[in-house]
Amino acid sequence: MDLAALKTQLKNFVQSMFEEGVLDNQFSQIQALQDSTNPNFVEEVITLFCNDAEKIINEINRNLGYQNVDFSNLDSYVHQLKGSSSSIGANRLKLACANLRQASDERNKEG
Amino acid sequence: RKRQLLTEIVLRNRLTALVVDADTTCRVLEQLLLRSYGVQTQGVDNGRDAVTLIASGVKFNLIIIDMILPILNGLEATRQIRDMGVHCKMLGVTACSGESERQAFLAAGVDVFIEKPLDPEHLVPILRELDG
Repeated sequence: MDLAALKTQLKNFVQSMFEEGVLDNQFSQIQALQDSTNPNFVEEVITLFCNDAEKIINEINRNLGYQNVDFSNLDSYVHQLKGSSSSIGANRLKLACANLRQASDERNKEG
Repeated sequence: RKRQLLTEIVLRNRLTALVVDADTTCRVLEQLLLRSYGVQTQGVDNGRDAVTLIASGVKFNLIIIDMILPILNGLEATRQIRDMGVHCKMLGVTACSGESERQAFLAAGVDVFIEKPLDPEHLVPILRELDG
């Protein structure tokens, strides 16, 4: 596949993520920040976010695996993920964090 | 389209800002957003470093500070910065969204409470005001 076709495919993929609510306007703002002085900015910040998010999600899973869940410890991880996902425009992830905090508040491990 | 999204403004003065956020993604994004408007920025990832930097005499027009920070939290760091007699604009930018958090952060000394993400809609009027 040639470069132009790949770029089109990427553009369509990102567009579908906007349409599905996976990404929101905040991501558009970040795309707008990329210019000739920061040519790979979007890729770099996504990589940064994903690396940190993976660690946090692993911690969340680990916490949820315990018999007695420490909800306040869990909450601090979810809070951090909510902050970074909202900053990068990962809308669906941000909403999932809000839901998880809600369930956590209700001490509902199954939620 | 890019310019519309970023609500382009031209600042007449050289403004400086300190970004205090433990999360690298948030800190990098906030610094870059400020830099896109020509604001010179520094970033630290905990409250103690923020207080130390201000105490050393470095002046900023604007401080962006998160509520939850390691070593010294955002509320306490804000109080200590205000107690030093520093009157610059402070924005509390946090993922916390409750009214009690908002009141607590304002009581600690931030001028504005903003729920993350920090966006041009909130930032541009503040930069215009600081630019005079």
